[in-house]
Amino acid sequence: MAEVTHDFSKTKRTYAKVGIALGIFTIITVALGLFPPLDVGPPGPTPGDFLIGLSVATCKASLVALIFMHLNHERGLIYKLMLFTSILAFCLIVVTLFAGFDPIVEQYETLKTTGGWLLKLRPQ
Amino acid sequence: MEIPYEVTPRRDTGLYNAKLGVWLFLASEVMLFGGLFSAYVFLRLGVQDGVDNPWPWGVSVHKNFVWLGAINTVVLIASSVGVVFAWVSVKERKWRNYQLWMYFVVACAAVFMCIKMVEYNSKLNHHHGIKLVDNSVMEGVIIDDTDKIRFSGEKVTFGLHSALPAVLRDLDDGEFPVFKVIDGPEETIGTELASESAFKSWFHENRRTFKKNLAEARKRYRAELAEGATPAPIEVKGTATVEASAPFSLHGDPRKILAHSDTTMNYRDGVKIEGKLISDDVIFEVHEVDMQLVLPQDQRESVVWEVISDDSAKQSFFTQQSKNYQEMAAYYEKRGEVIPEKMIRGRFLNVYYVHVPAEGSEGGEGHGEESDKHAAVHTSETNPAAGATGGEGHHGPSRHLVVPREQVKFMGNHGPRYGNYYAIYFTMTALHGIHVVGGALVLLYMVVFGKKLYLKNPEHLANRVEVGGLFWHFVDLIWIFLFPLMYLL
Repeated sequence: MAEVTHDFSKTKRTYAKVGIALGIFTIITVALGLFPPLDVGPPGPTPGDFLIGLSVATCKASLVALIFMHLNHERGLIYKLMLFTSILAFCLIVVTLFAGFDPIVEQYETLKTTGGWLLKLRPQ
Repeated sequence: MEIPYEVTPRRDTGLYNAKLGVWLFLASEVMLFGGLFSAYVFLRLGVQDGVDNPWPWGVSVHKNFVWLGAINTVVLIASSVGVVFAWVSVKERKWRNYQLWMYFVVACAAVFMCIKMVEYNSKLNHHHGIKLVDNSVMEGVIIDDTDKIRFSGEKVTFGLHSALPAVLRDLDDGEFPVFKVIDGPEETIGTELASESAFKSWFHENRRTFKKNLAEARKRYRAELAEGATPAPIEVKGTATVEASAPFSLHGDPRKILAHSDTTMNYRDGVKIEGKLISDDVIFEVHEVDMQLVLPQDQRESVVWEVISDDSAKQSFFTQQSKNYQEMAAYYEKRGEVIPEKMIRGRFLNVYYVHVPAEGSEGGEGHGEESDKHAAVHTSETNPAAGATGGEGHHGPSRHLVVPREQVKFMGNHGPRYGNYYAIYFTMTALHGIHVVGGALVLLYMVVFGKKLYLKNPEHLANRVEVGGLFWHFVDLIWIFLFPLMYLL
């Protein structure tokens, strides 16, 4: 059996720290979702909430990818492969956004009337 | 046969082969989940509040599930940490530690799947919704399978040319009625069919005879036609009627039924039941009213209030709405803007908990143990609207509402067909769940059957654990995005 060639105590400490950091990020994610004071913009989910929620998720994902998946010190080939994949995945998401390009929808937007019946919602 | 570059890296790639392989696999996985995330974005952006299928927004849908999702996140993170520690243990040549960490990871996977099952079970079996004819939605629980049409049957008429009548599956459990053939193939009239198997064998036999007779009659018809004569019409009896010795009760599945009246029920497969309608009302316990699809000016006259017929419940809904409206109006007024229609029609102003207290004694009216059970389900839920209604969050049992079937536009559990949200939720979480199970099985294999390889070449095992771990971390990564997208945002 080959002998141990490396001291892993530092690596283990890093892994433990990352685990704790991920736990903390999870708490932040839940807090952002559950506590109204942490909401951005008008009450209810808004693009701002999405941005913040997904940023936290991206931080977590980066930690997992960089430390646990060893992407912080990996061979060039893997980086090239992942770059290629990310470009394709990005296109995949973006391509759905083109679904919104429909002139008829614009017509609908202009027909919206907000004035009249808004008043009826006021407390009676 | 020796497989090259299992342990040592290849010079041109700088990697051992398994690692390059697993990264290529992960690249394809990114595209697989990417497609589904893309579908999520498409569905989510496509939601036009008040116009389209409303997206269950935020916590009101997931009142009980956010914490389950959060626990699952922590469980997966713990398992990810476990995998890297297992890998380090092999590198340090500590077999015992390796075993412990790997079993820990597999246990985490099991816990994850169990929690998932609790969630799925709750959505599929304990959360129902009814969309009424004016598009107002009640969420709660359908009591005692009353989505089915209760009917007391006497006669069944069916065709002998197709599959077994679907009605057989809707018969109430227990005794199969004794049927007597009163119309159909002449030689069998008067036959008594006392059991399901007797009925089935009688049906199959007569279907065969019918098909044979029909084929012969057609042959005769064509032959006569060829001879230039005017052929006599084909007369082969293809239907049969059986009568039960005593009325039998059945729960008709509305999806299989074309129409029903007080005396007959017509199945989509052509079977007709004659007898007496017991009831087709849906008994429902309402927990939440969703008005996203009803115009604000019509909300006070909505059908849902007729069905609920409880003024305090209605009042509590609109009190809460006014409160939230003021909050929102204040926000926009400060900015000198008008509240956008999207917000007016959205979840924040139109979905609230509603409690309809049971009349008189506890346990509703005459549903016995069942109603007690469901009442318990209800009271165990937290109720954010409690402040508005003046309650303490724990109400008494809910009244079982009678919802006339003609007021129901759609009803179902919170399964994939309940709406776009549930469709994408189940697709993505189930696919992710399959990945969890697959990954856990691979890791389990590595620890149960890994000793031999460990003794032969521990570095090889370490590499295996590393690539297995890479997959496992990827599964964790997917969940990191799924959790906020599905449960919180």
